[in-house]
Amino acid sequence: MNFDAYTIVYILEILVGGLLVGIGVHFVPVGGAPAAMAQAAGIGTGTVQLAAGSGLTGLLAAGLMMSVTDNIWIILASGAVGAGIMIGSTMLTGSWIYAYAVGAPFASAKVNYDPITGFSQPPYVAPGTVGQGIPTICFVSGLIGGMMGGLGGAMIYYPLYLINGNAALSAMFAIGIFLVNAVIASWNIQGTIEGFHDPKFKKWPFAFRACAIASILLALASVLITGGA
Amino acid sequence: MSLGGAAGGAPSAFDPKKLRIYGLVGSVVGIYLGAILNSALNTEVFSFIGAVAAIFAVVMGANAVRRVCAYGIGTGVPSIGMLALGMGIIAVMFGLSVAETLGFGMLGPIITLVYAGIFGYIIGVIANKVIKFNIPVMEEGNADLSMAGALAILGWSFAISGTLGYEDIVTDVLMTGYIAIIFIAGGLAILHPFNANLGPDEKQDRTLVNAIMVSGIAMITTGIAALLTQGLAAGLLQLIIGFAIWFYFFRMYYRLVKRDASAVVGTGLLPPTVQ
Repeated sequence: MNFDAYTIVYILEILVGGLLVGIGVHFVPVGGAPAAMAQAAGIGTGTVQLAAGSGLTGLLAAGLMMSVTDNIWIILASGAVGAGIMIGSTMLTGSWIYAYAVGAPFASAKVNYDPITGFSQPPYVAPGTVGQGIPTICFVSGLIGGMMGGLGGAMIYYPLYLINGNAALSAMFAIGIFLVNAVIASWNIQGTIEGFHDPKFKKWPFAFRACAIASILLALASVLITGGA
Repeated sequence: MSLGGAAGGAPSAFDPKKLRIYGLVGSVVGIYLGAILNSALNTEVFSFIGAVAAIFAVVMGANAVRRVCAYGIGTGVPSIGMLALGMGIIAVMFGLSVAETLGFGMLGPIITLVYAGIFGYIIGVIANKVIKFNIPVMEEGNADLSMAGALAILGWSFAISGTLGYEDIVTDVLMTGYIAIIFIAGGLAILHPFNANLGPDEKQDRTLVNAIMVSGIAMITTGIAALLTQGLAAGLLQLIIGFAIWFYFFRMYYRLVKRDASAVVGTGLLPPTVQ
């Protein structure tokens, strides 16, 4: 590996990708175990599972597009759309279960009026819970978060592939970088978050700093590896 | 039971420092032993030693998960297991690739270990200082986890490819996609034990025996992969040893579960539906 101007560009791309993943996690409505019992708004599983699920789909979509073209904008868009579709379908099917199987009205306990639809929320929040289901604001926030994660994943994968020219190696390496950033961000939100309207969202600068340090270290390691076979 | 050692700030029967030494020395020596025997005798039947070596790393990792998660990290135990494997895979690829570039292929595990330790420690510092976790064992816990993840992935990769050469591992493990199996089986072996046993009555020996048991299952899966990459003898040996480890430690685990449970009763069949 010889260092030149492109190496710096690759490092910056991986850094921006890692930051997008870290911030994107804050948009995803993660409900955790309480949401699985319909006692909190959001999707009923952990941050890492959601971020990894949508982000890796984005990675695959970007990788597939990369086998056809090498135009970076199309590859990035493909990654973002792939991840958006994944998280969107997860939230949609989850909503069906909350609406038709659990029978809970969708309501957020973090805001009085849904900023998008303007519907009143408190009357529908069951006593002793912090909202149920996936209200419109959470759905929109989740779509944004998923697309940011997919964009970040594609942005990590693209320079890695240009560095070592090995798709399998780049994908695994990108998954590693992705998971490190997603876990750091999920530690920052401490379990559950509803989306960008949640008060916890204001903590994102901590994750930004943490992910920046981690991503730089990972990017420095990743420009040194070779493609092998 | 004095044998067990309870969680929660994690006082334990086995000292974490000793477990760390056993884990690091056991797995590094095991990986090198397997690699040297394989190349000296020009065979591949000793690849199973790599999978056995990974067990030492997994026990160390499971103990680190237990120590960190006993404080409560708020995001569930699986997140830290995925972090361990995420850090580990980058350390393995970095270590093997740099060793190959420098021309000392056999130095790979050492470079991997050093990078994993440093990177894990930095992640721990970030978690405590930037994200403000304030968990006292976070730094060394994350360094342990990172090294455990890296050595476990390296051990299992060696078990599948049969050599420590970077190009062989890329061809046999990464390009074939077996790395995904290692990733998830390894993640399970490190994160599952504490996730399954956590609670006020968690005992260290039960958690660690569970870790060895899951490593046995991981060894069975690497054995199946080795059947396809190294042929019948090496693969079958791994399968049989993996099954033996799983069977022995499953029985031991069941005994410990019965020891710690207040009662073990059969529920019988479902009662007939009453309208």
